[in-house]
Amino acid sequence: MSIRRIAALFRRVTAEIRRDRPSLGILFIAPILLTGLVSFILRESQAPAIAADIVAPAGAPATLGAALHVALVEGGATVTDISDEAAARADVREGRATLAIILPANPQDGLLVVTRGLDAPGDSAQIGVVQKALQGSVSSITGATVRPVRHETIFGQPTDDPVASLAPAIVGFFAYFFVYVLTGVSFLRERTGGTLERLLATPVTRAEIVTGYTLGFGLFATLQVIVLLLWALGTVHVPAIGPLPAFAIGLGIPAAGSPVLAFLVVLLLAVGAVNLGIFLSTFARTELQVIQFIPLVLAPQFLLSGVIFPVSSLPAVLQPLVGFMPLNYAVDGLRQVFIRGADLGVGALQLDLAVLAGIAVFFGVVASLTIRRDIV
Amino acid sequence: MSVTLPANHVVDVAAPTIRAIGLRKAFGPIVAVDDVSFELGAGRIYGLLGPNGSGKTTLIRLLTGLGHADAGTAEVLGIQMPSRVTLGRIGYMTQSDGVYPALTVAENVRFFGTVYGRSEAAASLAALEVVALADRADTVTANLSGGQRRRLSLACALVHEPAVLFLDEPTVGVDPLLRVEFWAHFRRLADAGTTIVVSSHVMDEADRCDDLLFVRAGRVIARGSGADLRARAGTTDLEAAFLRFAGDGTEQR
Repeated sequence: MSIRRIAALFRRVTAEIRRDRPSLGILFIAPILLTGLVSFILRESQAPAIAADIVAPAGAPATLGAALHVALVEGGATVTDISDEAAARADVREGRATLAIILPANPQDGLLVVTRGLDAPGDSAQIGVVQKALQGSVSSITGATVRPVRHETIFGQPTDDPVASLAPAIVGFFAYFFVYVLTGVSFLRERTGGTLERLLATPVTRAEIVTGYTLGFGLFATLQVIVLLLWALGTVHVPAIGPLPAFAIGLGIPAAGSPVLAFLVVLLLAVGAVNLGIFLSTFARTELQVIQFIPLVLAPQFLLSGVIFPVSSLPAVLQPLVGFMPLNYAVDGLRQVFIRGADLGVGALQLDLAVLAGIAVFFGVVASLTIRRDIV
Repeated sequence: MSVTLPANHVVDVAAPTIRAIGLRKAFGPIVAVDDVSFELGAGRIYGLLGPNGSGKTTLIRLLTGLGHADAGTAEVLGIQMPSRVTLGRIGYMTQSDGVYPALTVAENVRFFGTVYGRSEAAASLAALEVVALADRADTVTANLSGGQRRRLSLACALVHEPAVLFLDEPTVGVDPLLRVEFWAHFRRLADAGTTIVVSSHVMDEADRCDDLLFVRAGRVIARGSGADLRARAGTTDLEAAFLRFAGDGTEQR
């Protein structure tokens, strides 16, 4: 071992990193930004905005309804008293109310909470608020023993395993993530390897380059999404073989809607990711830097698109950002398809698809504009 | 080596194939190309000679329309650059190899051929024969030697039989024997009417050119045949001639 040689290596490594400004910046800024964002979301997450319909059927204890009404309003919720359970359920289905609370005819029964069911973490947060109201002021006013609430959803099943709500989000996220990395690195090679310069000296147009890339990587995104969806939706039961016990392959998530629509949602998301990759490769000089954009570009999307933290509970300051997250529309679209069984006639799904298509086109244009950027 | 003569050539000696008019390009404080004007005619080999960093590559990029000039214009085949139509009649061999390492040799040539509108296998094969790589057609490019990649890069610039050929340091890393063949081929192309612009910092290749442009600090400091430049500088050595003109400052023709 030679101290001098080690010192030379040490100097070389530090000099290289020192001159790689983006890497250096991300080394320090990204962890602070991300831990800060996560802490902020955890600490400042607000009570979900609740618009509740309280339904009191004949014979229901009136005091319970009144006390619950007051308690929820004190908590900031909008509360409507309504007599018709079917109307309340329709309100929830159409999004005019976030939940319906149906008081029990028999005081011995717990009350029934009906949510939409498209956003399981968001639903849980709402039910938590109702439970808390019951345990706090309501029980002290009415003196009644609080029964645990029963939960029903308009779409899907409330008792589904947690994977069912998480899976659509995860499918969307991974498709986005891998397509972005693949395209970003590949296009960076095109830029640094001299092939882009050569290509631009041919009659090829920028739009042709972007479209060609979109089709090429779109093909692999398509295959990836098909495999992911098969894995998420399918279950292959393998019978016991000798000492090997029977087991199942696949997540076996029940999907109410058409896998083709789910596929369309993810494909549009992936096309956007291809163009994002081309666009961001402009700002990267090395493959390492493409990877370094992940904490800046993909991590906030993961945090702010309802993958884990329900969008409705995000701190108010962050709420406006949600609308800018492409992943948000894909997660919602997939939940619409998987849980709600939405078809193309459902307005919410139409909106998701339209926004995703718009984002894909927007980044396609931006990406094609950057293609000459480094050739000044 | 087989030679396919370009079919789409219009050899009009009267009109210049390449014309630079007051071209200027600066990168921040560094002026890479400084008020360069010249006319180059068909069927000749022109040598852009100058040290590294003298602005040869930037000049080529301005002529191909890849770079955007701060001032002045570039015309190729009578059309102001950048022109997509004209790009289809230009071959450009970049200084970096600019080939796809994961593709095979044939796939690379085929790709660029198709982009230029020459997708037939015969065109690819002819270009590979010129650079003596036909027998390596199915080799993955990443497995080629440096010199072989250079040859493939040239094949990709020749595949569409361009009327104008820009070659940025084409013979770097090419062995001496093949270098001779390269130049023989350039000569055959020029005889058939192709205008060839070769950039080089190697003076011993200069005498293979019909016309030399000495480039220094973004300016063309002298122009003429090798013999002419030697005579004007009063030396028998081209390198000494370059230094003489460089010392004098600006003689431009």
